[in-house]
Amino acid sequence: MSARSAQSLRDAQAARRRNGWLLCIAACVGVWLVRQGTETTEPPQPSRAQAFTTTESFTGAASSAPAPPHARVGEARTGGALAGAALAPSEPVRVRIPAIRVDAPVMRLGLARDGSLEVPPPGRSGSAGWYKDGAAPGADGTAVLAGHVDDARGPAVFYALGALKKGGRIEVARADRRTAVFTVDAVEVYPNDAFPDRRVYGPAGRPELRVITCGGGFSEKSGYRGNVVVFAHLTGTA
Amino acid sequence: MRTARLLTGSALAAALLGLGGAPAYANDFGGAGLEVWPSSAAPDTTVTVNTSACGHDGHATGDARAVGDGEFPLTASTRKDVLAGQFTVPHTVKPGTFELTVTCDNGKSARGDLTIAGGGEHSGWDRGDRHDPGKHEPGGHDEPRGHVKTGLGGATTTSNRTEIAAGAAVLAVTAVTGGLLLRRRARGPQDRG
Repeated sequence: MSARSAQSLRDAQAARRRNGWLLCIAACVGVWLVRQGTETTEPPQPSRAQAFTTTESFTGAASSAPAPPHARVGEARTGGALAGAALAPSEPVRVRIPAIRVDAPVMRLGLARDGSLEVPPPGRSGSAGWYKDGAAPGADGTAVLAGHVDDARGPAVFYALGALKKGGRIEVARADRRTAVFTVDAVEVYPNDAFPDRRVYGPAGRPELRVITCGGGFSEKSGYRGNVVVFAHLTGTA
Repeated sequence: MRTARLLTGSALAAALLGLGGAPAYANDFGGAGLEVWPSSAAPDTTVTVNTSACGHDGHATGDARAVGDGEFPLTASTRKDVLAGQFTVPHTVKPGTFELTVTCDNGKSARGDLTIAGGGEHSGWDRGDRHDPGKHEPGGHDEPRGHVKTGLGGATTTSNRTEIAAGAAVLAVTAVTGGLLLRRRARGPQDRG
């Protein structure tokens, strides 16, 4: 066998190895594309364990049921952390939720003409909003914060809100340089067409907080089917 | 000859990979909603709508006939995957909530709501049956009603047929090329013979 043909045999072997690798890579790419194509992802949603327990729970259909807040006040006295002493009203400027790495500025929100809560405008989906005509966080009553779960481009300020757990900590820094510290009582998901207004926005006899964003599943046609609502009450101040 | 055929094979695989890459990007950021700003407008104001439902480099037509305006074009905004368009709310429009739709050239569509304000402070609130004075906070202000509209779906991904098809094609090409190579290898000595 001449040196020349030995050389060509080595070349052929090298080419075969290279082809093997190329095929292997192509197969991996194909599998990856198919997997990627079949995958669906959505923001995290709370488990049932994070909802109010059945004795406290009121479904959306029963939103007119009398006085759910009292049940929670009772619970706070007997069981969970004691409600903190209320602060005087002062505007919130920042909200921090360490468990889901939220540290965002707070802007004011009013009501849209259909009576629903406004949301931060496009381009400010990294901000949370506070219902300016409701209670101030830390003051007696129900303070309401809302923010986007995502915008047209990707995740927004409250993307991970549904991953928050009972007992979680929410801090709201206020214009008076006090910080109201809230503890999460429950994380609920309500469908858009059965939203329990009174339960979410209704008055409370102690400083409470609601943090709201979109959730409950997404469809290309109708968008998000519901809202994730975090219920919390004041447990401390700083 | 053999090298040429192999090159063709790898080029094809690479082309398919490129083909698959583009929709993946569009999909990652592609919501299907329609951003309407402001979502609540008075007559004679200019309303801007944004959507990423049309994907890359698309064009779309908006339909504002529900509020008494006509159709309006949506064109690429500062971001390639987001289309934007504007129209003006006619001063003849009555208060209420109206649906805006956008139809992309590729056949996809998106929709959103625009609420038109009335003249007086509360004149737009014609759903008095749901208005319960007992619901007021101590401050005497109204409570919000209903859910919040805080998501457009940009953080979601739904299954993508283009990617599945591209992946299947890559796998098919791989299998065929592999089969051919194995056959040639089996016949190898005769070829060189």
